[in-house]
Amino acid sequence: MSEDQDKYIAEVVEKALRGDMDAINNIEDRVTRSKAKAALIKAKRLSKTAAAEAAPAEETAQTDTTPTEKSLNQKVAESLEKKFSGSIDSEDVNEHIQLNGKNWFEIAQYLKDNPDLLFDSLQCITGFDFGEGEALEVRYNLHSMTHYHAIEIRIKTDRNDPKVPSVEQVWRIGDWFERETYDMYGIVFEGHHNMTRILCPEDWEGWPLRKDYETQETYHGIIVPKVKEGWE
Amino acid sequence: MGIVHGDLMTLNIGPQHPSTHGVLRLKVKTDGEIISEVEPYIGYLHRCFEKHCENVTYDQVIPYTDRCDYIASMNNNFGYAVAVEELMKIKVPERVEYIRVIVAELNRIASHLLALGTFGLDVGAFTPFLYMFRDRERILDIFEVLCGARLLYNYIWVGGVSHDFPKEFVKIVYSFLDYFEPKIKEYNEILTYNKIFIERTADVGVMPPEVAISYGVSGPNLRGSGVQWDIRKNETYSIYEKFDFDIPVGSGIMGTVGDCWDRYYVRMQEMPQSAKIIRQALKAIPEGNVHQALPKKIRPPKGFIYKRTESPRGDLAYYIVSDGSPIPFRLKMRSPAFTALSVLGEISQGWMMSDVIAILGSLDIVLGEIDR
Repeated sequence: MSEDQDKYIAEVVEKALRGDMDAINNIEDRVTRSKAKAALIKAKRLSKTAAAEAAPAEETAQTDTTPTEKSLNQKVAESLEKKFSGSIDSEDVNEHIQLNGKNWFEIAQYLKDNPDLLFDSLQCITGFDFGEGEALEVRYNLHSMTHYHAIEIRIKTDRNDPKVPSVEQVWRIGDWFERETYDMYGIVFEGHHNMTRILCPEDWEGWPLRKDYETQETYHGIIVPKVKEGWE
Repeated sequence: MGIVHGDLMTLNIGPQHPSTHGVLRLKVKTDGEIISEVEPYIGYLHRCFEKHCENVTYDQVIPYTDRCDYIASMNNNFGYAVAVEELMKIKVPERVEYIRVIVAELNRIASHLLALGTFGLDVGAFTPFLYMFRDRERILDIFEVLCGARLLYNYIWVGGVSHDFPKEFVKIVYSFLDYFEPKIKEYNEILTYNKIFIERTADVGVMPPEVAISYGVSGPNLRGSGVQWDIRKNETYSIYEKFDFDIPVGSGIMGTVGDCWDRYYVRMQEMPQSAKIIRQALKAIPEGNVHQALPKKIRPPKGFIYKRTESPRGDLAYYIVSDGSPIPFRLKMRSPAFTALSVLGEISQGWMMSDVIAILGSLDIVLGEIDR
């Protein structure tokens, strides 16, 4: 990163902190923009003035949730708190349930087997990166084929040593979904029988969907083409 | 199954093989002719769909969704548009909803025709394949009239569709339906109740419902196992609640519930249901401006959405996280074919080599969508 770029980013971050997000969103250069966004997040964290807006997306999200959905999330959170105390990270459970990863395998088993919940279908596992230097997250969308209800579980993990217990043995599709998340984010699912890349080649370097990912220069002597700038 | 066990032999099918429906490699371990292990290797078509989406605006994602599941592009566009609209809380005009349902159901018929035709091809029936491709061609012609493209349409946009129906279009669709509906009987005669076809597929590759659910299998494959689950009915989106249609499920007519024949037959029964929906929609389609609700700039508010729709292959879901900018912060596509392929290793154990090809064909996978 050159000094000019540093200065420029500092400027737009200043602007954005004053509420002008367009300053960042209108940056032509893709790399600079993502760097600026990361810098903005850091700045917000440090100043603690906008604690609620710290993460780029969700925490402040306002989506319509019907009363029944709310009560389901609360019900699940309450029963988890009772059975596995200290496993829930956040008080706010309106949209999703934030777990800290402790006992996740047992919790998953419980969610699947409890007759009131019966989450027998794991719909999707989504990896998530909050930005350079921030935590990684795994998001599970569960669905019950008996009760026709759904919840979202989130587990944060450290960026430098990302580890989450595997639920491959609970929902069999967890096998491939976890491998995909590992492939893209480098999150290791502990207890998985075959933690290898699934979409990228085995000897690919880096974790492509992380925000700070940089493409390797050559692969088996073949030059990997760089992203063309200004293609938007 | 085998009583005498010999040495296991490792055999590679693919990546280039006509029966793998794309670029898929199967590493098969066989004991004589009996399969003891199948491991799919995927990723040959990986094009970083999700990374790409983090670099382009919301509307620029749509052409790429076409290229994920290139057999049913309309449904992919549809799912994406519905998800972004729900995130932005856009209400699209009534006419647009009808147009979308009509084209999505037409595309479902085209997709099923291809799936059934190639399935027949996999088990050695060449003629039905030609019959079904002949009729699929007519649907592609209809789409060409509609938007100029035969496979990759970029037709359904966020907030609307790219063009209104051209003149006489309703008539063309009606004439296609009049032509197509009697053909189902023809397919049944030539393939469904063909003795050799039944021998090859009935009782083969049985997928019990618990296994299907645990592996996240969805769509016709799940319904073939006897589970009544269709997002169009159970978690209705767009205007599907207005239409009267049935959800066919497998019942083991020729063998066991959840065998290859059941999965095949569910698709066969779904086609007349789609035709039924199209007829109802054509009858009730209102007038209106299809570009009325198109947003000038697509910039969803901060938030996230997990939205599922029913594509011809099953639950197609988009997980979209927006940070308030015109570019998605994170976009994940949950592809139904990905989960369908993952079950292959489980259900093909103990079958013969030729049965694995039949099972793979009955799962109806599209590699473009698996690898993304």
